[in-house]
Amino acid sequence: MTAALEVSDLVVEIRRHHHRFRAVDHVSLRVDRGGALGIVGESGCGKSITLRAIMGLLPPAGRVLAGTVMVQGEPASADSPRAERARRRQLAMVFQDALSALNPVMTVGDQIAEAPLRVLGLSRRSAHARALELLGVVGIPDPRRRYGAYPHELSGGLRQRVMIAIALSSDPTILLCDEPTTALDVTIQAQILELLSDLRDSNGLTIVFVTHDLGVVGQVCDDLAVMYAGRIVETGPVAEVLAAPRHPYTAGLLASALDVDSHASTLVTIPGSIPDPMRLPPGCAFNPRCPFAQPDCLVSPVPLRAVAAGRASACLHHDRLLQVPHG
Amino acid sequence: MADVLLEVENLGVSFRADGGRTLRAVDNVAFRLAAGEVLGLVGESGCGKSTVARCVAGLLAPTNGVVRLDGSDLGVQRTAEQRCAVQMVFQDPYSSLNPRMTVRQMLRELLSVHDLVPRAAREDRCRELMSLVGLPVGALDGLPVQFSGGQRQRIAIGRALAVEPRVIVADEPVSSLDVSVQATILRLFEDLRARLGLTMIFISHNLAVVRHLSNRVAVMYLGRIVEQGQRDALFADPRHPYTRALLAAAPRLHQGRRPRPEVTGEPPSPVDIPAGCRFHPRCPLAQDICRREDPVPQQVHGDSADTVCCHFGADPG
Repeated sequence: MTAALEVSDLVVEIRRHHHRFRAVDHVSLRVDRGGALGIVGESGCGKSITLRAIMGLLPPAGRVLAGTVMVQGEPASADSPRAERARRRQLAMVFQDALSALNPVMTVGDQIAEAPLRVLGLSRRSAHARALELLGVVGIPDPRRRYGAYPHELSGGLRQRVMIAIALSSDPTILLCDEPTTALDVTIQAQILELLSDLRDSNGLTIVFVTHDLGVVGQVCDDLAVMYAGRIVETGPVAEVLAAPRHPYTAGLLASALDVDSHASTLVTIPGSIPDPMRLPPGCAFNPRCPFAQPDCLVSPVPLRAVAAGRASACLHHDRLLQVPHG
Repeated sequence: MADVLLEVENLGVSFRADGGRTLRAVDNVAFRLAAGEVLGLVGESGCGKSTVARCVAGLLAPTNGVVRLDGSDLGVQRTAEQRCAVQMVFQDPYSSLNPRMTVRQMLRELLSVHDLVPRAAREDRCRELMSLVGLPVGALDGLPVQFSGGQRQRIAIGRALAVEPRVIVADEPVSSLDVSVQATILRLFEDLRARLGLTMIFISHNLAVVRHLSNRVAVMYLGRIVEQGQRDALFADPRHPYTRALLAAAPRLHQGRRPRPEVTGEPPSPVDIPAGCRFHPRCPLAQDICRREDPVPQQVHGDSADTVCCHFGADPG
């Protein structure tokens, strides 16, 4: 089966004050048609830059040094701009901050109708009808009334629904979501996650979901990729990775996450802090904070390797994790 | 409850909204806190939790109600001593520190204005504060821009502690931090609580964080505390449907797709508070009485301080 989205050995370099660093280093991902992949990591780990590189929306300071992005089996960057646009049209992105991603001086309905009108070439009337339909699809009550609303007149939850409607308006097959629920309250977050799962079920959308919250990936995604300092350090099915992580960073993140259903007597923390991307430690970037670090961890960066069926880890000593219990 | 340190009674805050209408941000809020206790105040955006915090800290004049510390009223015009007694830690450590002052200048200014420590001992006190919040002494020479988010929050906590407060009001102090950094700051709060016996109001939208740090929990919705109680009782036996909805919606690690949320829609505007119970338009249990009568706090869990504002939340029998 061809993957809906396949990223191989992606390297993205960012320029910052005359220095360059690799924000994304040899990242490979694969999502099957109708699948959902969660990318989890903390600020600066490269998860959003990965998403933007796939979308072709890197900031001016960013540059793809190497790697390929295949969309439905064909390379995203084609020879002609026209072919590339057609390829990229399969992709749509949902951003974290709906208020700054939406046009403040255009009604939300017109913003949703824009792609059907200009990209898909629908008539004004059918674009309008399509926008109304999409407002309904994303669960906005009273679409006719909301069509003429401006973004500032809507709540955060409704704005996020509008952004999802805009993403869907060009009929994409793959939805890239960059922390789409982080700015929302928990009850609204639950509704948006539900909506994304519904879209996946009903429209067969493929989803890539970037978040810093391990607690939300399981609600939308089947597979999980954990990023640290520009690299993927662990992949596997969400439930399996969370139940028995095979990379010490994943294990540390899990241990420091609080559980709403029980009261932990002690709070575990990962020692140290995230490294400066311009001065990454030698070898495995996690080694200064790792409880299992050995001299061989300092030799060279550790590539992701299969450790079990469907599981991969970028840790030389991942077996050590099998010996410790996880909560 | 013995030895009530902080008492908030009948607190109300109204603002004038567009068109001469009244926005009730906080309505009839009451709670008590004993020395050494931590009250977790939870609720979603716009529920009034930060407004309560600002009233307690004296940054905002309530429209009605009183805030008492050790039995004496803290008015709006507070004495220097009263201002020191309640200190606040804000959510955003990037905008709550003066960008042009080093940490030492910041702390020394506080110590001299409030004349808390003799001049000769100020440097020692600065060093002591740094070690209290887990920063190296060298951090005293840094400007806020040189620190990470977690370190800045430590500085903000150190600044609050500098004036030897009796109560700390922390408004979403870990919400803008990464998970692993969040854990280290929570650990600092735990540590300070154990060492200094701090009394705290800890505001968060994150129930897991509140559960970890608080003894008592109060849940706010549209300006009112709809349920409050001892932490364990409240989490084990939540009585208000809104508390249950918040718990159901909380992110959980080991749970895949979950049942469809029972509570739908979004909170109404505080300019237009629904008649009767303010939660009834979203409540899965709503009956006729909920549309007519505003529920009064009822005692639950057999504890005089645990209350719920729901017609169907009382102890059975």
